[in-house]
Amino acid sequence: MQRILLGRMPLAVIAVVLPCLACATAQQATGAAGVTAASGPQTIDYTDLIGDDYGPGTYKYPTDQVYKPGSFDLTELQIVPTGDTVEFQVSVASRIEDPWDSKAWGGNGFSVQMVFIFIDTDHVVGSGVTEGLPGLNIRFKPEEAWDRVIILSPQGPARVNSEIETKCPQWKDRIIVPKLTRAQGKTIIGVIDAAQLGGPVRRSWGVQVAMQSNEGFPDKGDLLTRKVNEFEGQHRFGGGSDYNNDPHVIDILSDPPEAQKAILNAYNHETTTPKFEDLAVVPMIYGK
Amino acid sequence: MASRRCTLGMAFALGLFSQRAIADIANIDISGKEYTKFMFQNDNTQGCLSLSNPFWVDNIGGHNGVCSELELNIKAKLGSRVTAGARLQSRWGALWQDWWENGDLRPGVQDTSGESSGLNHAAYIKLRSTWVRLAPPIPFVRWVTVGSTDFSMWNEWTIGKSRYIDRDNGAGVFVEGNILDKRRLSYSFGAMGLPKLYVGPGWNTGLSYNEPLAALWGTDWAYALKVESSPISDLQLKAIGSVTQDWEADKYDSDLTGKQSAARGTDHAIGLATRFRGINVTLDGTYAPSKLDWLSVSGLVAYSNNYVNPTYATNLVTNGQGFSPVVFKQNSKGESIPSQSAAGKLDFELYDPFRIGLSAKGEYFNIGSEYNAIMGARREADVLLTDGILPSGFIRGGQLPTLNIANEFVDWDEPWYESCIGWHGGTLLLDYVHGGLKLSAEGTVIGYNTNQQNRDTKKQFPDFLYTNGFTDTAVYTVNSDYANVYDRGKDPRSVYAQYQDRLTGIAMLNLQFLIPKAKGLVINLKGKYVNDRDNRNLANPNDDYLGHLILGFAQIDWQATNELKLTAAYEFARYLEDNRTGTQTGGYWNAFSTKNTARVGAFYAFGGVVVGYTLEYFNKFMVRTQPGSYDQYWNVWRSKGTVEVAF
Repeated sequence: MQRILLGRMPLAVIAVVLPCLACATAQQATGAAGVTAASGPQTIDYTDLIGDDYGPGTYKYPTDQVYKPGSFDLTELQIVPTGDTVEFQVSVASRIEDPWDSKAWGGNGFSVQMVFIFIDTDHVVGSGVTEGLPGLNIRFKPEEAWDRVIILSPQGPARVNSEIETKCPQWKDRIIVPKLTRAQGKTIIGVIDAAQLGGPVRRSWGVQVAMQSNEGFPDKGDLLTRKVNEFEGQHRFGGGSDYNNDPHVIDILSDPPEAQKAILNAYNHETTTPKFEDLAVVPMIYGK
Repeated sequence: MASRRCTLGMAFALGLFSQRAIADIANIDISGKEYTKFMFQNDNTQGCLSLSNPFWVDNIGGHNGVCSELELNIKAKLGSRVTAGARLQSRWGALWQDWWENGDLRPGVQDTSGESSGLNHAAYIKLRSTWVRLAPPIPFVRWVTVGSTDFSMWNEWTIGKSRYIDRDNGAGVFVEGNILDKRRLSYSFGAMGLPKLYVGPGWNTGLSYNEPLAALWGTDWAYALKVESSPISDLQLKAIGSVTQDWEADKYDSDLTGKQSAARGTDHAIGLATRFRGINVTLDGTYAPSKLDWLSVSGLVAYSNNYVNPTYATNLVTNGQGFSPVVFKQNSKGESIPSQSAAGKLDFELYDPFRIGLSAKGEYFNIGSEYNAIMGARREADVLLTDGILPSGFIRGGQLPTLNIANEFVDWDEPWYESCIGWHGGTLLLDYVHGGLKLSAEGTVIGYNTNQQNRDTKKQFPDFLYTNGFTDTAVYTVNSDYANVYDRGKDPRSVYAQYQDRLTGIAMLNLQFLIPKAKGLVINLKGKYVNDRDNRNLANPNDDYLGHLILGFAQIDWQATNELKLTAAYEFARYLEDNRTGTQTGGYWNAFSTKNTARVGAFYAFGGVVVGYTLEYFNKFMVRTQPGSYDQYWNVWRSKGTVEVAF
């Protein structure tokens, strides 16, 4: 009797599971190129091209084995309002791992990735911040200046807040460190209080994601970000410049998808002492 | 006048100095780190390290003291294609109370000078690493690195990443390059100096003090080659082969056995003989189809072959109470032969395929009974999906395929690692995430390829003396209990027993929950049950072991302010073990233990300074029924504080 039950069980499971998997696959495939703002009544979903984790087209991963292919390949951002809280779910093309045992340093269960989610809530010139956060080497248009930024870091909130206090205290009221950050599968999830966004989530908001890597021992001015150099190192990205004029961003949301190379390549390649106007301008993505 | 001369002189000197000072240092980057640790416990040991190694005269382990260290990193960029660097690090072990210590060691004696504890306690600055990395314009060569490294380019099954405290003790020459572009075919090759302490029989490569049969270690090297390929974007393949070679002077060489006479065949050249040779090979692959981004399948096959030459290596299975990082395999004639095995594992992962927050992982593992990565990762890595037998709520850990696991030079709050040699079974793990809730459940079954009747643990297979009972890592102490006189259970390296017929089941449930409307209040719960059976000698019905480990753990974390995180936690553990301890001839006896552990902690980060503090109390009552043994009670308070600043 037991054998019969066990024998039938997989068929029943397969009958239920396969259509669902097919459905899920089809859903994901529709958004696999470019950016869409769609899905459920509340969730806002942005997808990004797979395989564009090369910044302006030239960036290479650090050589250490912990930087697995696809680790910084942004594939999706989901913003999920759930009552008093909002979840930010950022997915990449490979499994999120914890090779540096983040629990040992008060971390959040992953080690290598770090994500910045910039939000423009008003689309108004003169409102918000046009500079990127320290270490990213990007900027925004005046009419797309960011009003809030959510940091998904493997570092615990105390460490992230300490770095913010040291390196960009002028923006600390605009920077949101989630009260809970965790990883599941290929997704990093941050939960924040909805009130921190200044109002209910709207599709019309501008959103941009800067995919970076967690650097526990960052350069003096960098907000826990990993540098991009001309040549990659064991723990440095390569394919950029040694002079901090290049965007230290591995992947962004891009619409159309193929625009990313041009966007991140539009920085002053000649300067060795970059100023604000030498940096690449990263556009916000506005839902329709 | 004199004053003016002096001023001119100083100005001249300063001028010269400043001219030199403005020499091109723009490309030199110096960074540093200061680290201070406060350790206290209600015992009479002194030091700043819970577990060190008591065999040294100059032991640095102990539970009471405050120690500081300084690290300086220097990195020079000679151009975009050449960088070089070094790390200077003060030696750990000088207590704040260690005034006047200059390292004037008097073995075994604390004299009246206060300068007699040895260099370990003198905080001298040691050159810990030097390296040069260059990208020469040579076809198919992208990087050449000469000098120190952490060996992280290989894997846990071959040559593993060095543990953190050894992170740049190793050095070698490394060449990396691409044969085909776009990651279709790349390679890394390395020749590495073999650590004279730890890789080889007796944890050495010929240290005459503890290896009377050998003395030559300057000729010993490890070699490794890695080839990686991503023939299609969804598939990644990697093959690694490594050889560790411990040479000794050929003791029968005519140059060593008599006069330097040509008639005897001497030639002022001395041949070498192998003391130990280890070969490890792995092939692994990951298939993650981009069209099915909810699916990933990966697998690994491995092979190891370890040969020990008994002419040059003391058999510690026989002469070291069974403590040996290698098997001394013999054939039926008693001749030394290689110990060899294969290993493999297959993993699948479903990433939230229904888009409801439910993910699943599964793993099948089959590690041969003699697989051994002698230079594999010794800690701070984990090759299996399961939580394993050893980790608890407070203590994390992992499984590694080596007898060379290192659980020493750690504090009481650090992870522990167990050997998974011979493990054969599977794990299924389910993860559910919804809002502030994360729930994960694990089921694991472990059979053992090491199951065998009347295994030779006297001459061939090391059993690490302590083969019985659940391991309780909390009661490891620094000196007196290093030899397990307080009965803390099985040695985590012990995978062989004379009689074994073992089967283990693990069930685990984890829950993490963000309390709504509370600022940063997170609850973590863990429940774990391990059922461990060992019929031991199948001809003896009275020696069957049955162990139940029941563990409950609860922790609450509170991000009180932007800078301050507070933690409180409690763990209950119950060990119920039938026939835990004894011998085939004398019989086996039960033991039962109950342990309660509580911790409070604080973590504060401000302006680049990171401060941590943990206070722990545990009590444990252990009942032993074996005649002649006695019950034990632990009533331990201990704390650890750290202050860290990087600049």
